[in-house]
Amino acid sequence: MEPSLAHRVAQVLELVQRQAGARASILQALQTLEAAIGYVPLESLPRIAHALGVTDAEVTGVLSYYPDLHSRPTGRHVVRVCLGEACLANHGSRVLQAMREHLRADVGETTSDGRCTLERVYCVGNCGVSPSVMIDGEIYGRVTPEQVPGLLERYR
Amino acid sequence: MTRLYLSNDTSSRAAGADRLAEVWSVQPDVQLVRTSARGAFFLEPIVERDSPKGRVAWFNVTLDMLPAIIAGEGGTPINDIPFLKAQTRHTFANFGVTEPLALDEYQASGGFNGWTAAVGMSPEAIIQELKVSRLRGRGGAAFPVWNKWDVARQTEATEKFVVANADEGDAGTYCDRMLMEGDPFRLIEGMLICARAIGATSGYIYCRQEYPSAARTLEHAIQKAKETELLDIDGEDFELTVVRGAGSYVCGEETALLESIEGRRGIVRAKPPYPAVAGLYGKPTIVSNVLTFAIVPTILACGGAWHASMGTDRSRGTVVLQIGGRVKQPGLVEVPFGLTLREALEQFGGGMASGARFKAVQVGGPLGSLFPESKLDIPICYDAFTEAGAILGHGGIVVYDQETDMVELARHFMAFTADESCGKCTPCRIGSVRGREILERIQAGEETVEAVELLKDLGETMKTTSLCALGGRAPYPMLTAIEHFPNEFGRGARG
Repeated sequence: MEPSLAHRVAQVLELVQRQAGARASILQALQTLEAAIGYVPLESLPRIAHALGVTDAEVTGVLSYYPDLHSRPTGRHVVRVCLGEACLANHGSRVLQAMREHLRADVGETTSDGRCTLERVYCVGNCGVSPSVMIDGEIYGRVTPEQVPGLLERYR
Repeated sequence: MTRLYLSNDTSSRAAGADRLAEVWSVQPDVQLVRTSARGAFFLEPIVERDSPKGRVAWFNVTLDMLPAIIAGEGGTPINDIPFLKAQTRHTFANFGVTEPLALDEYQASGGFNGWTAAVGMSPEAIIQELKVSRLRGRGGAAFPVWNKWDVARQTEATEKFVVANADEGDAGTYCDRMLMEGDPFRLIEGMLICARAIGATSGYIYCRQEYPSAARTLEHAIQKAKETELLDIDGEDFELTVVRGAGSYVCGEETALLESIEGRRGIVRAKPPYPAVAGLYGKPTIVSNVLTFAIVPTILACGGAWHASMGTDRSRGTVVLQIGGRVKQPGLVEVPFGLTLREALEQFGGGMASGARFKAVQVGGPLGSLFPESKLDIPICYDAFTEAGAILGHGGIVVYDQETDMVELARHFMAFTADESCGKCTPCRIGSVRGREILERIQAGEETVEAVELLKDLGETMKTTSLCALGGRAPYPMLTAIEHFPNEFGRGARG
């Protein structure tokens, strides 16, 4: 692991341990790392396991279980198209198709310029104004396939 | 200076409220107040102002409407909107009225009256009041709330916990999100009352990652409650923490949720022991839905008998529906249990969206049954739904139109379960994958008509042998789609 990354991982782990004490949570440690670095570097797993007093396998298991944790760097922006029932009923899948075509990336892929990672999500609780798209932490409603290029324009 | 009220709810913002706020916040003659939402999302963004007869509202507001609003031209009294007028708001009484983090406004509208009542009562008396109220858990399982609390109260332990399930994963639902964003002190008050009744000293709110605003609002509200010394039970501090989920649907199942709070994979635990006996860190724990905690303060303030006076025989109180999909008026509805599904769709949903014809409605999220037009006269209450083999779940109602392909819809739900299964039991883990594969072969025209029988058999197996409700309910959308739209499943089959 490159030294600056290793340093940030160490900082995060220290914080997690200090806050939680004996009940430190693997998930919380990984979420804090993801928030600080943007993903959870696989080379950091032994350090996390050591710091929390658990096995490498337990940490790996948690990392692979939760869809919101990434073991590889994502794009600068994460674009998530909602496929919950209300969005599905209002043809959210057409919005997803427009995203695919515009970004030239499939679900789970990152654009070749590293700008956007495309993901799907099952409901963001925005059903009253569906179909919905969530980009980073921002939620958009009543999205039409035609609006997709303009929406993405704000995220370079 | 004109004071304008504009909702700060995520869906109002997504509908354009933030764009209005951005421009109007620098207008010298406007004072903007960001409130919770009315729940009438088809009218958002809504702008309101005071009048001698109460609030007056403008709907689907655009920037160019500001002069008319300031001049007071063309507004509608909020109480004249049929969608809102026909509702019975108790849990959502403050919505659209107050500022979410204004503790004084919450208290002025009756907030913490339930807690004050609870402080003067013994734990047994609090639980007795809930027994009288006949409140059943609003998360989906509909278990009598008093019973669970009583088990936790009677279980001896060095430490007990109160956990709010704010994982609200059922697609089509958002009432928990609205509560956390719009009236966070109500949830806190409900949890405090529970803590006092069972003897807990700390609590967690497990909030899904897709709700960033809800988590932030709650953290601010907890901080505010702490500063004003409200998080105090008989002289002891009540520690309340927001835990963020990480995108796993099954973490809405109570034991998987507890595993996730402890930081592990969200794998379902076998029951018994139930969490009320051995839950978080093996200690007695009450896990209840946000909506359940949110009505508790009103029950303590108004009495259990008040709550029991509403609804049907075995479903007392109000039900919170979230009507969406291809209807004209998507939004949140709170009414006493007992109106029919047809009434809900017509009276509140306002009929179909323009150009759409009704095909089916799904109630209860991704594990909920589909109803065709002929089955809409079912009363909305736990027992009628159980009898029909359906679930109310978290009150999500999604209407599909004539363009919906039922085989594709069934495939979607099987693929969803395959994605979200925790993997502990075989029927759910393998069954969902096989179900998806068979449906994909039907779509490709590679199956014979016997495949439909195989799907039914698979569905029955998943229903009876899965460990939790995810696997046990997952086949229902598919099975009800086959039951009510059999021709669509036969169409692609060979011979």
